[in-house]
Amino acid sequence: MAPKRKKVEVEEEEARAQVEVEEEDEEEEELAFSRNYFLAKEVGSASGKRSAARKVSEINLVDDQLLRASLSELPTKHEKEIGSLLESYKGLYSNWLFELRCGFGLLMYGFGSKKALLEDFASSTLTSYTVVVINGYLASVNLKQVMTTIAEILWEHYKCKAKTSTGKKQQTQLPNGLKSVDDIVTFIVDISDDCNCSVCLLIHNIDGPALRDPDSQQHLARVSCCSCICLVASIDHVNAPLLWDKKMVYTQFKWSWHHVPTFVPYKVEGLFNPLILFSSGHVQTTKTALVVLQSLTPNAQSVFRVLAEFQLANEKEEGMHVSELYTKCREQFLVSSQVTLNAHLTEFKDHKLVKMRRHSDGQDCLHIPLPTNALEKLLQELV
Amino acid sequence: MAKHQSSPQSASSQGANSQDANHTLEPFFVLHKAQPQATVVEKVSKSRKGRKKGIESSPKSPEKSKRTTSDEQPSNTLYEQWRFKAFNEIWSLIQSSIEGVLRDINLKLFNEVLQWIEDSFSEIKSNVKLSSSEILQPYPLLADTLCRKIPTAFVLTKNAEYVDDIQTFCDLGSHLKANRCHVANMSALDFSLKFGIGGSVRSLLRQLHSEPLDGKIADMLTLAKWYCEEENNDKPIVVMIDDMECCNADVLGNFITMLSEWVMKIPIFFIMGVATTIEAPKNMLPSDALQHLNPCKLTLGTPSDRMNSLVESVLVEVCYCFSLGHEVSVFLRNYFLRHDGTITSFISALKLACSKHFSLESVSFLGLYMLDQDSEERWSEKFVYLPESMKRCILNLHSCKSEKNLQGGVGSIVQQLSDLKASQRFWSSVVLCLFEVARYSKMQFLDIFCEATDPKMYCMNGSENILKKHFRCGDKNSTARSSSGVGSITRVIHTIREMPVAALSNLLDKWNNHTEEMTEINEEVKKLQSVLASVDEGKVYEENLHNIRNRKSVSVISGKGNSANEKVAMLLDAMIRKYMKPLECMTLHEIICFRDVDVLQSGLIGDPRKTIQLDLLKCHSYLSCSCCSSDAKNLSPSMHDTSIMYKLAQEFGDVINLYEWYQSFKTVLTSSSQTSRKRGCPSPASKKAKPLPPSETEALIQARFCGAVTELQISGLLRMPTKRRPDFIQRIAFGL
Repeated sequence: MAPKRKKVEVEEEEARAQVEVEEEDEEEEELAFSRNYFLAKEVGSASGKRSAARKVSEINLVDDQLLRASLSELPTKHEKEIGSLLESYKGLYSNWLFELRCGFGLLMYGFGSKKALLEDFASSTLTSYTVVVINGYLASVNLKQVMTTIAEILWEHYKCKAKTSTGKKQQTQLPNGLKSVDDIVTFIVDISDDCNCSVCLLIHNIDGPALRDPDSQQHLARVSCCSCICLVASIDHVNAPLLWDKKMVYTQFKWSWHHVPTFVPYKVEGLFNPLILFSSGHVQTTKTALVVLQSLTPNAQSVFRVLAEFQLANEKEEGMHVSELYTKCREQFLVSSQVTLNAHLTEFKDHKLVKMRRHSDGQDCLHIPLPTNALEKLLQELV
Repeated sequence: MAKHQSSPQSASSQGANSQDANHTLEPFFVLHKAQPQATVVEKVSKSRKGRKKGIESSPKSPEKSKRTTSDEQPSNTLYEQWRFKAFNEIWSLIQSSIEGVLRDINLKLFNEVLQWIEDSFSEIKSNVKLSSSEILQPYPLLADTLCRKIPTAFVLTKNAEYVDDIQTFCDLGSHLKANRCHVANMSALDFSLKFGIGGSVRSLLRQLHSEPLDGKIADMLTLAKWYCEEENNDKPIVVMIDDMECCNADVLGNFITMLSEWVMKIPIFFIMGVATTIEAPKNMLPSDALQHLNPCKLTLGTPSDRMNSLVESVLVEVCYCFSLGHEVSVFLRNYFLRHDGTITSFISALKLACSKHFSLESVSFLGLYMLDQDSEERWSEKFVYLPESMKRCILNLHSCKSEKNLQGGVGSIVQQLSDLKASQRFWSSVVLCLFEVARYSKMQFLDIFCEATDPKMYCMNGSENILKKHFRCGDKNSTARSSSGVGSITRVIHTIREMPVAALSNLLDKWNNHTEEMTEINEEVKKLQSVLASVDEGKVYEENLHNIRNRKSVSVISGKGNSANEKVAMLLDAMIRKYMKPLECMTLHEIICFRDVDVLQSGLIGDPRKTIQLDLLKCHSYLSCSCCSSDAKNLSPSMHDTSIMYKLAQEFGDVINLYEWYQSFKTVLTSSSQTSRKRGCPSPASKKAKPLPPSETEALIQARFCGAVTELQISGLLRMPTKRRPDFIQRIAFGL
């Protein structure tokens, strides 16, 4: 008997592995890039003693709302020292301005948020410049809008200058007529030589999610070498220099690097990053599942309960056959026909409460993608 | 105004409540508009429009400064403006010198290209004569493929990095434009798969049309129409692609095939930069495109040739108003040789050094006086009006402290400055003489320059004759030194001893020009010239070209040649000892000499990967707080959370178990705080945590943990867990 059970278990393992193949492929591809040999070794040993490896769920996770609240109220350590560190950088402001005027772009790096520092520098020192701030840490940055704004600022000055110099014919079209980012950038480059103004582009996180792509960097590089535009930018990612080629570095951005660690917390920059002890746990999924289920009819809830109870009772099974679920539901007068059950199942599938799997015997079966303890908790709360 | 005065820290702490907080979630916003009265357009350094103003705009305002001496702050601003003006003037001078050198070095190639275009164009014109209506007619196509060949010049750039060639191609474009050609300067970006052939044609038309396309369809017919216009007709169209190997092969292939259909109607020429070998186009382009090219091979000068010319004209000839200290020179040499070997990076490094010098050295504005051709009396007038604080600044320069003569006041400062300028002129003359020999023996000028700026070499040579030191005892020692790059100057002298008479005579002719300001040396040179001339009459003309290069035959043919060589070598040695005084040995050298190699290095090569990790591992050195231990290995709860986390992460391998990481973090925060509480000096963190119920303490620790992980993720030091391994985080950076 024992060997047979073992065989079944092995088969089950294989089937499960098949389901996960897609996810694994994606990840293997990532790993193939670097240190894959050592990583594979380590992962291999980790999976070998998987039972020994501790799980995040073993941490007594607090409620996510409390976690969010605590995070927002977290007192900053060394506030005084950070203050004096930032104060010490004030003495460098005039040198930074000097370099900007010499035609260099300022690139600030070092650990800690540099947002407040750079904006303070801009407000106190760059008074002769129109300063446009780009919050590159936000994924919602739209470079076209930014470029349009810059083009409008330059266009204002260009028009004023054209009015005063009588003989000059206005040949360039209005920014409104420009369609693509490329067109706008070309427009900016064309009129910049004739503009009697200085614009400073202050980019927090030029390595941010929305600006990381090569096209955005190319556009920024082209704009940065205009005669009336200067650039002050910050980077936080250790690999940020890989964004630029030599042409961009030496002939367009012309960076002058400045190491300015501030140790100021990345409050705004990390605002939209998922919290490690928050998204990875099952707390989130249980809660969302509960919200969805409570919005359904009592019958639909009961159908889900039947499926969940089956799954809890048969943990080793891959899932419940649809026909089996139909029989059980019909016995309990929850559904009257296959059509009604299918309606409920579609609802579950749409909300990702239930997943369809191919059983090893070839039939389709239903499965709730939640760990056992999460499912138990869900059933308790779903009264 | 209140906003301006607030410290950045207060801005950050009040951020949530202030109006600025609204801006944090806006993708972009205008912080403030330029204040009209303060608007200063600093285009000079970028567009170089102000260069021609020249010396007239140099600080004429000692009189003005007199008015502001009472007020220190405005005076500082004034000096800053002067320093900026000095930078602009001097950098413009250097840059025009750089441009001149690069243009001259490429001029031969440019003329070759122009000749080739003119020849091919006249050949096409003699074969085909079409009217405008025929040009505009797209059909019939030319059936004969032989006629559909586009003359193409492959320019071998000999550079792995195309960044240097961008400027070369720009200059070539200007040269051709000035010689009746239409030029379109295209790059790999115009031949990308994303925009396809449409993008390429659009870019070509955009460059040729002086006005915007205004919604015209970018096709060959538009190009034909444009070419038929009277002012555009009868000129060749040159399409330049600076980095041909970076283009998308299919798009470029299609582009070539399409242009070839029109080649008899519109005379198009290609100039393509090839970085590797002449085989590259064959390997890259599809054969049907390749058959439409009529290739021709041209070659650019090597980066080391260009570098030699740059060193000569920029670092040596303009050295009297801005120069580099020895350490900076060595750094720049290594930066050029080991970093990427591009002239562009070297020039940008030089510009940064120049700007750092004028930005950081308070008396650097006096460099403008050096630029000035004024007499000493005029300088004295200017110095009289300098405020006392500035004079004190000058006297406090490191090189002045030991100089007792300077206490005499303005006159002595002017005298020293004048000496400095004269000494630099002599120094540059001697170095130019050295370069003449180096040119003969194909040595790198930068090596000699580095050695010539070394103050230690000068001190060492002061007492003893270089020649005696390195050559009397035999040459073995000097060869060993030269291989390590130390003895470049000794190698130069060694070369002189082995030079044939004809070359020596040429050398002396050139020295004659370089040493005009050093009368004593100039006379010696002339004497040697006459000595050599007498030797020449008898022997040298009999030598053939082979013998000139052959050392042994020279010594055999001209018995006196050896002694003449020795005399020339002795003369050079005397010149070095007497006149090649490195700048750093001079009083007041700080005014024109940039020596801070660390500042330059950090401004030039930011190494965020290493530095950000060091910030985290050694945060105490920046914060210098009293609560944390300065020992990097000790972890205390008062330390920066992310720093604690990163130090803990060092103990893990490639992947970090989240549970274990959290537990160790928690242990650091709680257990150590208990011990510190026992000691009676609670840390700030434990103070906060003490009155809280356990669940909230836990929440606080978890919040700190989450915050620190997010910060490490932003820094790119971690990769977040995947679905497959939700309990593990992957480390990205290993080692410094």
